[in-house]
Order: sequence, then C-alpha cells, then structure tokens
Amino acid sequence: MSDVLALEQYEPYAGFFDELVETRGTPRPHALPIARFIAEQGGSALVERQQLLDDTIRAMGVSFTVYSDSQNIDRSWPLDVVPRTIPSGLWKRTSDGLKQRLEALNLFINDLYNDQRILKAGVVPASLVHESRNFLAPCQGITPPHGVWAHICGTDLVRDETGQFLVLEDNLRVPSGVSFMLENRTVMKRVFPELFARSTISPVDDYPRQLWSMLASLSPRPDDTPVIVILTPGIYNSAYFEHSYLAQQMGCYLAENTDLLVENDTVYLKTLRGNRRVDVIYRRVDDVFIDPDVFRPDSVLGVRGLMGAWRAGRVAIANAPGSGVADDKVIYAFVPEIIKYYLGEAPLIDNVPTFLCMDDKEREHVLANLDSLVVKPANESGGYGILIGPRSTEQERAEFAEAIKAAPRNFIAQPTLNLSTSPTLCDGQLEPRHLDLRPFVLQGAELYCTTGGLSRVALRRGSLVVNSSQGGGSKDTWIINDEG
Amino acid sequence: MLARVAENVYWMGRYLERIDDTARLINATTHILIDSHRDTGFSWPVLVDVLGEDSERFIKEEHSASERAVMHCLIAAENSTASIRYSCSQLRFNARCVREVIPRDIWEELNGLNLFMQEQCLHASNRHKRYTLMVEVIRRCQMVIGVMDGTMLRDDAYHLFNIGRLLERADMTSRIMDILILHQLLPASGPRGQRGIQWHAVLNALGGVESYQRYVTREDERSDVIDFLMSCRVFPRSISYCLDRVREEAAFLPHNDSLLATLEALRRQMDDQDLAVLDVEGLHALIDTLQSGLNDIHTVLMSDALRLSVA
Repeated sequence: MSDVLALEQYEPYAGFFDELVETRGTPRPHALPIARFIAEQGGSALVERQQLLDDTIRAMGVSFTVYSDSQNIDRSWPLDVVPRTIPSGLWKRTSDGLKQRLEALNLFINDLYNDQRILKAGVVPASLVHESRNFLAPCQGITPPHGVWAHICGTDLVRDETGQFLVLEDNLRVPSGVSFMLENRTVMKRVFPELFARSTISPVDDYPRQLWSMLASLSPRPDDTPVIVILTPGIYNSAYFEHSYLAQQMGCYLAENTDLLVENDTVYLKTLRGNRRVDVIYRRVDDVFIDPDVFRPDSVLGVRGLMGAWRAGRVAIANAPGSGVADDKVIYAFVPEIIKYYLGEAPLIDNVPTFLCMDDKEREHVLANLDSLVVKPANESGGYGILIGPRSTEQERAEFAEAIKAAPRNFIAQPTLNLSTSPTLCDGQLEPRHLDLRPFVLQGAELYCTTGGLSRVALRRGSLVVNSSQGGGSKDTWIINDEG
Repeated sequence: MLARVAENVYWMGRYLERIDDTARLINATTHILIDSHRDTGFSWPVLVDVLGEDSERFIKEEHSASERAVMHCLIAAENSTASIRYSCSQLRFNARCVREVIPRDIWEELNGLNLFMQEQCLHASNRHKRYTLMVEVIRRCQMVIGVMDGTMLRDDAYHLFNIGRLLERADMTSRIMDILILHQLLPASGPRGQRGIQWHAVLNALGGVESYQRYVTREDERSDVIDFLMSCRVFPRSISYCLDRVREEAAFLPHNDSLLATLEALRRQMDDQDLAVLDVEGLHALIDTLQSGLNDIHTVLMSDALRLSVA
C-alpha cells in the first residue's frame, strides 16, 4: 500500500512554487488526471516505466555528445518519467509574450545595423553596442527578408516562487534542444499511451513543418520550391543529433562547409548530380565562423564567399549573421525598454531583476552582495563561467570581484532565484527538483511559438544547474487544456 | 544527394552484408566441425583468412589457433576489422552520418542491432550460445533489409546501399570459394565431377543448401557447387547474380559510364571461362581475377560515380 502513497508523500519545498501540487496531497486542478494516474499506478510502476522509457530512448538512439578525455561519447538523453504540466491559459499569455519579445528584438537588431534610432534616442547606451564583439560591422546596411534577423530563438524561462514566468535569457545565436522536445514527446507517447487519453494535451509535432515554412519564407526565389540546407559543423559537434534529426524531419539537406561553394554570389550544394543552387541556409555554426574571408580567417567550418552572397540577397541565412548582438546579458537588461520603444507596449513577460556591473552604483551593490547573487559573464552560454553566490567559496568570490572590476561591462548579476519545482523520480522516490523551460520561437513572414518547449531539470537535490552537459535531465512538457 | 553522404550509404550496405555473411559463416563452419571426422584437419584460423585478414599473423600474435581465439577475433574483438562487433560499430557510425536520408524505422533497427551486438558479443562462450547469438544477428540484419524494402525511397541512396551489399556479398562468396573450398576442403584437384567437397557445409554458410538441391535436380544436373556459386543466375548469392544486380542498380546512378564498362568487362571474363575444364589452379586464378575485378568496380564507383578522390 505504500506504493499508492507515492504522490501523497511527496513534499514540495517550502518557499518554492511546485508545478504539480499546491501543497502536499493537493494536486493543482489541471494536473489532477496525472496525479490520479500516479496514485493508481504507484511508485514501483513508475520505476518500471522509467526503465522502459530509458530503454526506448536507447533504442531510438536519442543522444547528445559529451567531450571528455579528448573523446566524443554519445550519451543517452536523460528524460524523467513524470511530465511537467502547464495549464493552457497561462501558456497562451506566455507564448504571446515570447512572440512580442522576439518581434521587438528583431526590430532592434535591424535598427542597430541600419539607422540606430534607438541609440540616438538614448534608450540603449550607444557604447554598449559599439563595444560589443557581437556587433558585426560587415552586416551594416543590410535588411534581410521581412526585416528579421533572429529567425529561431530559444528563450530560457523560469518560474519564481509565485509561479510567474520570467525570462532568464534570450538565445538568438544557435539555440539547440528542440529535437529533444520532439523526441521526449515521441518517447512518452510510446511509454504512456493511456495517460494521454485522460487529459487534453496539446501536440508539439508540427514544429518541423513550421520551421520549414519559416525558412521557406526567407527564400530569395519565392516562386520556386526552395532548396534548404542545414549547415552543421559535422558529426563530432555536440548537437549533431539535432542537426541530422531536423534535416530528416524536414526532408532537407544536411551539409558541412565542404559540401557548399560560392560562385558569383550564388551558393551551390555539391550533389551527386551536379551543383544545386541553395536558397536558404539554417546555420548551426557560430556566425563568426561562417566565412573565413570576412570573419575569423582560421575558421575551418566556413564557406568562402558566403557573406557576399548573403549581402547580395542571393541566399538567406538563419539566424542572420550578427543576430548575436541582441544576445548579450547586458542588452538583456534593456529588453523591456526595447519592447516599449518599438512596439509601444508593456512587456507581457518580465525579466529577472538584473544588476549591470557597468553602472557604478549597481556594481557597488553587486560587489557588496556577491554571496547572495548569481554573477554571469555577458557572453557565455551553457552555464559556464557562472558564480552562484550562496554556493561559492571565498576564493571564488574574490576571483570574480577582481574580474568584475577589470571588465565591468562583461558581467551582470541577478538575485538567486527560487526556481519552481516538479516531482521527479530520484532513486525510486518522487522528490522536488528545480526546472526551467526553453520554448522555441520562430519569425519569418509570421511569428510562431512551440506549445511548451524543452523542460530541463536539475537532477541533484537543490541544484539549479539544468544543462545536460552538466548532469541535467529533462521532462516532457504538457500544455494541458484548462479553458474548457 | 551529397557525394559525402553517398559514400556513407554505400559503406552501410557493405558493413550490413558483412555482418550477415560473417554470422552465417560462423554457424556453418561450426557445423562442418561437428560433422567432420578428425582427419579432415579443418583449422579454425582459416576463417580469419576468409574475412580478409592474415591467419599466420593472427596465430603468431595470439599464440593460439584455438576455436575460442578465432571466434573472439570474428565476433567480439573490438579492434579486429574481421569482427562482427567492429562491423556493427562501423555500420552505426556510417548510419549516424546519413540519418537525414534514411527513415526513422531503419535508423532504429540499425541502432538496435549495434546495441544488441555490443552488449551480447561477449556472451558467446560456448557453441550453443554462439549459435543462438549468430541466428539473432542474422535475423536483425534481415529486419533492416525488410524495413528498408518497405519504407525507403528508391533514390540514389537506395541504389548505393544495394551496390554496397552486393559487392560485399560477391566478395565474401569469392573468398569462401577460394579459401574454404579450394584450400581447405578439396582433398585432391581434378575437373568437374571429381571435386568431392563438403559442399553442404559451404552452401549452408551461404544459405543455399535447398536452393542448390532444387537447381541441380531440376535445371542442371551436371552443375557442381563451384558452378552454382560462380554462375547460377538465379541464386542470390552467386557471383553472376550479384554482378547482374549491381549492373541494374548502377544503371540508375549519374556518371556511370566507366562503372558500367568496368562491370561489363568483369562479367565477360567470368562468362567466357568454361568452368568445366578448370583444375584447382585454374579456379584459383579465376577467383583472383574476380577479386581484383570487384576491387576495380569499387574504385571506379568512388572516383567516377561519386567523384571522390581515392586515397
């Protein structure tokens, strides 16, 4: 009988928002069918399903690549058996906010590379942009199709202690993870077919089609079926699984740089049956590597002449080179102002409160409170180079203080967040674990947001680090109809 | 399709066939041993030769010519290019490079075959377990072929996959003839009718016992095993059949002129030779010609049809 109590005994952390239960023994209304299912099945059945789920993932070959000891190892993707649930009404407002945010960011990027009205108006400090290494001079004067630069955005969201969604960061360069969102659902449908019958759960599987349509809307030859290519750094890249998965799902080409060539500002793909003109490139290579003639001359991942073809408007590149200028944790702090400036609207989703170390007063505050703040470098991703104040040593804090004083513009700080939790199977028991959410937002001719996104969960008790490269897991994300 | 991808698809076909053929060979030769008298002198390391490695070097390095050592080399050795395990790793590696051109079901079968082999290959300690393991490997290879047959577009990738399989199969049949029949099992040389060999076991390795029996009794009673494996146009593991099918598949490829010409030259050489008059030396020479012809086909496919620079 103790089995039946698996969820009854689940004790959410005090002071944190748990997404499945309001308090111990009281599931949230939209999560009732799942709570009932868990209670019926019992804890040991969950353990069995977890095993089945792990086996399914291995058989499907869903993996990510980690680098260790100079070897590349395919690791099975970690997925927790308990889904993460979000009511559809809340999600509707959140996805509207995400679209609003991307629309404003694209207006911002296009403005930066053209008239720079926002800098002249003093809304964003001009020095911030001019000193940014992500502001790419060769992109100036260009307006890509629809005026859109960042076509694919993977925004990281968190929920605070009240359950409110906040934007943690905007990933506008080459965000990854969407294939895992899709595969998580495929696996869950195989392992829990009966559970899907109990609630109305929004499907997620139209993403590849939406991505294809968005990319097609960028084609310089709108009257023909476009030739779309995903440009990958190759089979040893940590996200190679995703590159090949998306190519497979969209039915488009997966190319490495040596498969492409540029002649007379036209990009060609070297196929068995001769060269084929390429219309749209979905690059999964950082922008400064795409053309050794224009950016880093040491790049072995690039294609000579690609920037010329793009500037001539003869090929579309997603995300456009230079989009990363808005993907900077200092710029992030200005996004609410950016939304107001371009759209005349209040932001629908708030930022996490952020202190800018470039501001004298805010820097003083940061330096005085390093033990309670999270300090992040402006330009890193993957959770690297971060100081988590409450868990740091005195020496680490001293090192960060020196680094901040030496280059204040390179750092921001945020309060330690009370990240929401969800029950997660840990050693045969359900325990609260912290999570975040990465929805994917597309903008071409139109705006689109995934239903939910990739939920990442920190598997160690109390940990806030959700990155899969650092031991994080994932959950399938269920947007459950609560609107009748 | 990209030339780089085409090459990976071709190698997928080759490795899949090699896994299937090796598993069949292992089970069939175990049967030879069970059936044979002690004085046949069948030696296990000869299988290392069939897989294209050097058995003398193998014996020297392993200090052993035992069944156990040879079977390890053929099944579970991680770094032996002769092992099924190695071929499974290579199969998955090549499939991983071309996932975007193969349907998901095929990927899952290939991935499953590799996972199964990596986990199970060390559990073939006795003959019974080994037999069961090899049967399962063969079955899983056939699953891949079946899913491909049912789901894959008949485009360049499909043709190249088949060419890879057929060339590997022809190569394996030729090596089985060369080493197992001519070196090992043929007690005395002589023209047709006197080639009293253990054809049953050899055909077993090629899944052809019943087909041969039917063919001989109904179609051509003078045909012996060598004739059958070399020139039977309707047996899917014979050299003639493989070359016919490679030609059919090659006809779909671009830039195939030199490929078709090379194929045609080899077919003519095979057809022109009257097998009935050949003694063992003559057969050896013919098989040498065949093997270098298969090599030429591979080289021309890479350099002309796929336009890859051959190292």
